[in-house]
Amino acid sequence: MTQNSEYAIEVHNLTKHYKGLSAVDNISFTVKKGEVFALLGPNGAGKTTTVEIIDTIRKPTSGKVILLGMDVTRNKYTIIPRIGVLPQGFSSFDRITVKETLQFYSRLFCRRKTDINALMALVNLKDKVKVKYKNLSGGLKQRLGIAVALVNDPEIVFLDEPTTGLDPRARRAVWDVLLGLKKKGKTIFLTTHYMEEAELLADTVAIIAKGKITAMGSPGELIENNADYLVILLKSVDENVFEIVQKMGFLPVYDSHGDIRVRLDHTDDVRRLLNAVEAGGASFNGLDVRKPNLEEVFLKLTEETLLEGSAGIKEAK
Amino acid sequence: MNLHIINTTIIHANIIWANIIVSIKSFYREKTVVFFRIAFPVILILVFGTIFMERDNEIFDLSVQDLDRTTSSEKLVEAIRLSKRFKITPVSPAADAEQYARINKRNLMVIIPKDFEMSMMQKMGPGDIGIPVSLTKLYDPSAFGVTTKIGVLDMVLAGINQEMSGKPPLIVSEPVSILKKKYRFIEFFVPGIIAMAVMTASLFGAVNVNAELRQKGVLRKLSTTPITRIDWILSNVLYQFILAVVSTAVMLLVSYIVFNVSLEINAWLVVFVALDVFSFVGLGMILTRVAREAESAAAAADALMFPMMFLSGTFFPVEMMPEFLQKFAKVLPLYYVNEGLRASMVAADHMAALKCALIIGVFAGVVFILGIMITKLDGETT
Ligand SMILES: Nc1ncnc2c1ncn2[C@@H]1O[C@H](COP(=O)(O)OP(=O)(O)OP(=O)(O)O)[C@@H](O)[C@H]1O
Ligand SMILES: [Mg+2]
Repeated sequence: MTQNSEYAIEVHNLTKHYKGLSAVDNISFTVKKGEVFALLGPNGAGKTTTVEIIDTIRKPTSGKVILLGMDVTRNKYTIIPRIGVLPQGFSSFDRITVKETLQFYSRLFCRRKTDINALMALVNLKDKVKVKYKNLSGGLKQRLGIAVALVNDPEIVFLDEPTTGLDPRARRAVWDVLLGLKKKGKTIFLTTHYMEEAELLADTVAIIAKGKITAMGSPGELIENNADYLVILLKSVDENVFEIVQKMGFLPVYDSHGDIRVRLDHTDDVRRLLNAVEAGGASFNGLDVRKPNLEEVFLKLTEETLLEGSAGIKEAK
Repeated sequence: MNLHIINTTIIHANIIWANIIVSIKSFYREKTVVFFRIAFPVILILVFGTIFMERDNEIFDLSVQDLDRTTSSEKLVEAIRLSKRFKITPVSPAADAEQYARINKRNLMVIIPKDFEMSMMQKMGPGDIGIPVSLTKLYDPSAFGVTTKIGVLDMVLAGINQEMSGKPPLIVSEPVSILKKKYRFIEFFVPGIIAMAVMTASLFGAVNVNAELRQKGVLRKLSTTPITRIDWILSNVLYQFILAVVSTAVMLLVSYIVFNVSLEINAWLVVFVALDVFSFVGLGMILTRVAREAESAAAAADALMFPMMFLSGTFFPVEMMPEFLQKFAKVLPLYYVNEGLRASMVAADHMAALKCALIIGVFAGVVFILGIMITKLDGETT
């Protein structure tokens, strides 16, 4: 046991299989105490599977997870009082009010002293105290779920997509809550689809795709290390440009304006590509060459690249 | 590893209490649920009770063919007569029973077989319960009202049997003392409705609540709190038991006020209601676990419930059914709740009640333990 380790969470070679599918494939990482760690990935990447194994909901196929110095599969009931969990798509008892819901969960943790009013204030539900769960809007339900995850004053908070489905203002409110928790020294493990969210909140971001971690580091490092290519945009193109570019071995994509976007690995490729288009007798009216943005880095790292994805759609037409 | 196992079997009174509060609030805030739970069985009692009330004052024709012609058989006939429910027409032992019934348009006929006295003496050993097995009932199932008539006859026979048991030699006891009481069909019916109402509510309550909470992911959230499987199952059982007690009290109250039933209320009632709840909440927990989808769990509950409702003696005596169905009834748990409740409430027969309680108790225990073993709160589907 590594009771006094600097790590809140240690994941070693974690694997989870579902009948022939590797939802999580041999991943390892650590989360320091007091750190905000974001697991970023597209739908079906394995985020929920990973987080639910760590927070004791599911059992791993193989590998080991150490939480607060304890093996999660053996110490569930010792660990549980020290963690707070917002599961994906949080739901609660329909006919029970906001206040009663919080009272119920604090009773489960035998916490008579939980300041329920303060919790409701924290997530901005003060004026919804007597509203039944089923009558809350989706965003309010989600915020109640965050409050519920905090009833036992946990050391580690797990939040599976805490801002999915929220309007921009509500999302910002949730971010404020999380930043407040971070200031209090809580360890936060969150999953998200949004690069901006990870960038704003997280000390460390791990990008996961198809059950594997493809990149990990601070948000700055990730962009620095992975924006190592160029995007060229050709506007108002002729019909045959697409074909010419494709024949060169690149993967062109039409965007929603009918423009063509191509990912290039070297600056030399820009000249080669323009020459080839000219030689082919095709024309275009506009040109833009730039570094990729955050979203594109994310897409590249999750292998669901802009290129493959949209090309398929265009061809299907 | 040990710690984990011990922890999952810990019972937390405060957690169970928190669950029960939430369940009860959820219950009374949904008025349609309250209606079906409390009012529906009462309506059943009112409707059937009214139908039977007229029948209760009616005196039925009954043809009796005594092939035995011993003191015992004569006393049996006398006892039936003393119930004041039947006008008895003796049929010559020489007559062909079926032909007689057809010609004289008799829809119910009792035949006392030749060896009645002898088998009675053998059969009625200490602790033996059951109506004299050798009586043959000949009836026309298509005749209107024959159901009630057989029901009343069975009540009367059960009463006679009751008076006889434990007082050997049974058959020679004074028939005059046998029936002080007038047996009414409503008194047969009310215990059956209690047993059935508690069964359906427990089974469907457990299936619906658990399937819904599983599907919505509430159980997944609960699995990240200190609640254990035993806490969860006990919460379900206790909550259903509280509702069952309330609903039973209302049913009995209405039966007393409206029909002035005379039913024995004793500790057995609580025992059988509790065992009824344990058995069927446990069964419900198993169904929700075995069936993946909420719909299939509910369908499975239906499939189990309907045969039990009709074949275990809720609406009419099991003895009315063909032999093979009677055998089948004896494997249905509800049969023993019915029999047990009737033994305690109608006949005040504690031995018979105990027997039934033991059988249903074993079933409840097995189901409950199985329920604890296979119930899972977490999101695993593998
Ligand atoms: N209980 C399960 N049984 C079978 N397959 C599962 C189960 N849970 C997840 N999967 C599969 O495992 C893969 C990873 O799922 P997971 O829910 O972890 O993804 P995710 O990253 O959380 O996605 P999302 O962003 O949509 O929530 C998916 O292909 C999913 O279909
Ligand atoms: Mg997910």
